[in-house]
Amino acid sequence: MVAGAAAAVYPLVGTGYGVRALLQMFMWIALAGSWNLISGLTGYVSFGHVAFFGAGAYTTAILVTDAGWPWLPGALAGGVAACLLALLIGYPCLRLKGPYFAIAMLGLNEVLRALVSYFEGLTGGGSGLSLPTLQATERVYYVMGATAAAVTLVTYLIVTSRFGLRLMTIREDEVAAEAMGIDTFRHKLYAFLLSAAGPGIVGGLAARDQGYIEPISVFPLVTTITMIVMVLFGGKGTVWGPVLGAIVLFVAQELVWARFPYYHQLLFGAIIVAVVLLMPRGVLGVLQQKYRLPRTI
Amino acid sequence: MKAPPVLTVEGVRKSFGGVVAVNAVSLALERGRIYGLIGPNGSGKTTLFNCITGVERPDAGRIVLNGEHIDGMPPYRIAQRGVGRTFQVIRVFPELTALENLLVVTRGSAAAAEARALELLRFVKLERLRGEYAGNLSYGQQKLVEFVRMLMRDPSLVLLDEPAAGVNRTLLNDLLDAVKDLRDHGKTILLVEHDMKVVMGLCETVFVLDHGEKIAEGPPGLIQSDERVIEAYFGR
Repeated sequence: MVAGAAAAVYPLVGTGYGVRALLQMFMWIALAGSWNLISGLTGYVSFGHVAFFGAGAYTTAILVTDAGWPWLPGALAGGVAACLLALLIGYPCLRLKGPYFAIAMLGLNEVLRALVSYFEGLTGGGSGLSLPTLQATERVYYVMGATAAAVTLVTYLIVTSRFGLRLMTIREDEVAAEAMGIDTFRHKLYAFLLSAAGPGIVGGLAARDQGYIEPISVFPLVTTITMIVMVLFGGKGTVWGPVLGAIVLFVAQELVWARFPYYHQLLFGAIIVAVVLLMPRGVLGVLQQKYRLPRTI
Repeated sequence: MKAPPVLTVEGVRKSFGGVVAVNAVSLALERGRIYGLIGPNGSGKTTLFNCITGVERPDAGRIVLNGEHIDGMPPYRIAQRGVGRTFQVIRVFPELTALENLLVVTRGSAAAAEARALELLRFVKLERLRGEYAGNLSYGQQKLVEFVRMLMRDPSLVLLDEPAAGVNRTLLNDLLDAVKDLRDHGKTILLVEHDMKVVMGLCETVFVLDHGEKIAEGPPGLIQSDERVIEAYFGR
């Protein structure tokens, strides 16, 4: 609550750099939280989640530049486009079991990037798309913050519901879940659609904020990896784990790593290895197990 | 007039590559009775279970549950139509609490589900441990959680895959009492079991599989002295 109020008044008193940094942080909270919805809850690891970000970014950019839409409905349309893509991809791919799904999602992202580069008429191909100049950072800041809050709220509602329990049974034991009468495919598909909406909207907002997009800037594998690391660090399957992971790793990146540009990637890699080896449940996962806290932490 | 069977299996066949795991097996299960399914290792017991529960799709034959064809249906549909099962290797949801393991059912209101779940946990004396992660429970307690979890949907047919395996005497007696209790409440039970004492003491009719074929069917006393059964187990 206090954090929300502070974030709401910050643009009035803060610096331009501060607003941009917080906007980025909100973006990471929304992305990590969305990845957690499918992968943290059902255990189906998506290695291509940035595809939804990219699809949202291109949808918004095309609607704004070609159709003259305002950016806010454009970004929401980006979320819808990402959901449609998730439906199209999820329908065949969610029938695959765990590891095969992960690889299929990795392929999806590469295919999308190639398609976007190919259809130059619509997307500008490799030279990208420029959005009309507009001073909207503060407004984008608020919408990005609202998106991050919405993703976290949706996660809370799911984790505390029977629908959420059923999603977790898929992660725990899919065969037993089916034997209990749970239509696991349908549940995975719903979770997947929900997990695509946030990145789609965020992609559209990022496109507006940056003013220029190109295939390599909106479909980078490293964005997916960053989402995954944030969730693993904070605690997968919890409500606040992705938020904590996004804040800690983003702040660390801004404050510390930016001063050591060469070691940045190395440190990031080291964190992945350390988390997987020493703390596979993440910070909140460990606390939750140790002190028997509910998943709503 | 005789009531129609709860489950009929007619000429079910399932092969994997060149291996015929279940070959033209037929059986009928009547309401409120306990049936045993026995046979040497690799005789097709688990494959037949998997065909009935939809985990495997039979190559040929028909499976009818309460008058409805269920062969070819996905497992969750068959479960929703009233088939409950436990597994040879325990399959609880380890990071869900004992209570949550039961609450995952899709049927009924949340309040009704919770009331039923607590009643079932009380039935197996695990109410006290309802908030504990299932993965932290002992082997026997997990077995009980799996057993009552399957009852959440109030199934008409209960399939138990080796209920006595790895279970101590006290717990086994509790489980067997629970199975008889289910029978007395009109449920039909089919169990795969290697412990002959359990099969002979509990089952009213026993089916014997060997190399995927049903070689005998009858009350346990007769089955024990059946020549083909003795041959299947001990060789000629």
